[in-house]
Amino acid sequence: MSWFGILSEKPWLPEAQGTAAQWGRTAYTPAVKISLRFLLGIISVFFMLFFVTFISRSQYDDFLALAGEPWQPFTHSWRLWINSGVLVLASVAMQNAVYALRRDQSLRLLCSLAAGALLAMLFIILQISVWQFLQAMGYGVAANPANSYFYILTGLHALHLLGGLVALGRVVNSLRRDGDLQNRHAAIEACALYWHYLLGLWLVLFFMLTRTPETYALIAAACGLG
Amino acid sequence: MTHIAIADQTAHLHHPKTFIGKYIWSQDHKVIAIQYSVTAIFVGLIALLLSVLMRLQLGFPGQFNFITPDAYLQFVTMHGMIMVIYLLTALLLGGFGNYLIPLMVGTRDMVFPYLNMLSYWFYLVSVIVLMSSFFVTGGPTGAGWTLYPPQSILAGTPGAGSGIVLMLLSLAIFIVAFTMGGLNYVTTIFQARTRGMTLMRMPLTIWGILTATILGLLAFPALLVSAIMMLFDATLGTSFFMPAIVSLGEPLNHEGGSPILFQHLFWFFGHPEVYIVALPAFGMVSDVLSVHARKNIFGYRMMVWAIVIIGGLSFIVWAHHMYVSGMNPYFGFFFATTTLIIAVPTAIKVYNWVLTLWKGNIHLTVPMLFAIGFIFTFTHGGLSGLFLGNVVVDLPLSDTFFVVAHFHMVMGVSPIMVLFAALYHWFPLVSGKQLHTGLGKLHFWGTFLGTYAIYLPMHYLGFLGVPRRYYALGDTSFIPESAHVLNEDITIAAIIVALFQLVFVANVIWTLRSGPRSVRNPWGVASLEWHTPDVPPVHGNWGDALPTVHRWAYDYSVPGAKQDFIPQHVAEEDVEYEAGGRRSGEGE
Ligand code: HEM
Ligand SMILES: [Cu+2]
Repeated sequence: MSWFGILSEKPWLPEAQGTAAQWGRTAYTPAVKISLRFLLGIISVFFMLFFVTFISRSQYDDFLALAGEPWQPFTHSWRLWINSGVLVLASVAMQNAVYALRRDQSLRLLCSLAAGALLAMLFIILQISVWQFLQAMGYGVAANPANSYFYILTGLHALHLLGGLVALGRVVNSLRRDGDLQNRHAAIEACALYWHYLLGLWLVLFFMLTRTPETYALIAAACGLG
Repeated sequence: MTHIAIADQTAHLHHPKTFIGKYIWSQDHKVIAIQYSVTAIFVGLIALLLSVLMRLQLGFPGQFNFITPDAYLQFVTMHGMIMVIYLLTALLLGGFGNYLIPLMVGTRDMVFPYLNMLSYWFYLVSVIVLMSSFFVTGGPTGAGWTLYPPQSILAGTPGAGSGIVLMLLSLAIFIVAFTMGGLNYVTTIFQARTRGMTLMRMPLTIWGILTATILGLLAFPALLVSAIMMLFDATLGTSFFMPAIVSLGEPLNHEGGSPILFQHLFWFFGHPEVYIVALPAFGMVSDVLSVHARKNIFGYRMMVWAIVIIGGLSFIVWAHHMYVSGMNPYFGFFFATTTLIIAVPTAIKVYNWVLTLWKGNIHLTVPMLFAIGFIFTFTHGGLSGLFLGNVVVDLPLSDTFFVVAHFHMVMGVSPIMVLFAALYHWFPLVSGKQLHTGLGKLHFWGTFLGTYAIYLPMHYLGFLGVPRRYYALGDTSFIPESAHVLNEDITIAAIIVALFQLVFVANVIWTLRSGPRSVRNPWGVASLEWHTPDVPPVHGNWGDALPTVHRWAYDYSVPGAKQDFIPQHVAEEDVEYEAGGRRSGEGE
């Protein structure tokens, strides 16, 4: 039923004959899925707010974008492309786990989950190496707001990935304890969805953090933040 | 969207055996609720003590040596933050939300009990981190609960070193705790309701808690974002919010940041926050009024809609806190308009509460007294809000005691009134014992009249131009001598009100230790929470089988029915009617 339908119910009327019999036949969405949807919504709001502040901050004079001129770190962003590739593979591995789950292939499932987790960790390590690269070039956290945002946003993204790893670890652990695949469908699918979400989020971050000043001006104007 | 839980998982409920498993590392929503409530009330008492200290300074300036200007500002800040976040938010959602959601929608527990437990422990850590700032060098932050940079992290503001860092850390931990709890509440409400419990059959308490939780889940991220950025500014020297600035004669390393950005983020959280506190209170007071007037709530659907609409609108009014920060006049116009629009659904709710009482069979029990008291205080606070919502009226009144009076009436006293109504109302359910009525009435009159004695004169002080967050007024030509006399009176009233709270504490202790056992469902309530097999409910709540719901929660004084209320789980066939009095089919 639509939200409008629900909100216009008249609960004070006596229950119609036979309604009671219908209960229990409605579609049943696992709790993990519902709460994951909410969680992804919350994380989106969280990063959205960062983006808004980022775009408006990008229009101040002292903001030096990380790309544009040849000497700037992300004018050629091949490092970030490699990292993106790793994260894509992590997502593919998780999706593979979901397929394995549907076909009940437990060995393939475990291998894919392990691959998903390891690739995610690799991604985090590579991100740290990007930080070191920036540090070495003299692009410290406080040197410029563009750098500050780069460290904060990639750091928070990595933290979310770590949270996902903890959740995945708990799922695998409970699987190991009772081997009950059937009851873990929702949880594993949720982990895969979370990985895809963080991949998407990373791509957005990648795009946002490596634009030239002209593009920022354009985005700011489009959002009315100029 | 109606997802009704078929899985009734008694088998999976794991009953802890040891004392520690039962009461410390508990995953039972009821125990977690009590842990939340006790912790929140404890910090609330500390905040109350801080307010008395502030009042001592304002009423009798210079008489108390230990209240230095720095200490005064630290008391103000900690008082405000504790009251809003660590008491009201935690008690309403972590305490009442946890206790009532599973019982009112008919589940055995929250959908993720483990996460629920973690939520409490994170909350406790956030409280400990906050309290630890009293003991670090420099003390807690004195920046005001709004924590505006640049002053909050600059030398010269009390607690600008570790105090502010601990405050921001504590807030971040609190937000994590809230998110874990909040996900549980919404998922439980959406997914795990028992058979027949459609969304529109839920008591308004649950609607209030649900909407407030969603607001919290969407608004707290703004506070988290600003807390993280400010932590970076304070510790790593970034310039998110910090402009180029000269402090104590030295130019600092910051450059180009925007303090106004912080204000936007803060209030994008801050205004919804006031409704995070208000909406659960709206819900609970509706239920208390309906039960104790033995009448169905007037305009149930309108009440639900109003809750949802207020929740939505609360995200587009935030800049009414920033009229004096300087903004485009069209912005001011926009935010003034949305602010005044939000008064419409709010007023509808007030009318509906009054109409619920109209021709009701009003029992002036202690919960009912507090609920009626709430209607008064909330109306007062709401009306002064209408004044402040207009830019031209706000400019002279902003940062005066008029604002202090407004928000204390509306979000200080009013939710506290509801909290007391709720505590007296649900105490027999939680403990099996009923609080002493005489002491309760004493507590009510002391609190109700006392808070008026405190806050009504503050409106007048505001008109005189007495500024807020000032340690002392000194010799200020435009403030007459009478203002000082008034300040003394307010302080005396505040001390009396604080003492009256001890009546409540004594009542709770006495009742728990030697009060008589209460009868089952003493107020004759129709909603599910009073109809568990055991009262107080035990682990798993519902014994062998979950209840099936056949009606809304407000069947009071149904014409023709023998009993003056029909519990939610009683089917139409099973209702006993007086001979010939069977209710006809249509609604009223
Ligand atoms: C008709 C409804 C309301 C209107 C029109 C309204 C309007 C306003 C305005 C314009 C201000 C800013 C005053 C200033 O700083 O100059 C304000 C402050 C405040 N309001 Fe309300 N308000 C309303 C309801 C509420 C409710 C329901 C709550 C809480 C439950 C609340 C809590 C507060 C608080 C805490 C502040 C002070 C914030 C600070 O420290 O600056 N208000 N209100
Ligand atoms: Cu507001």
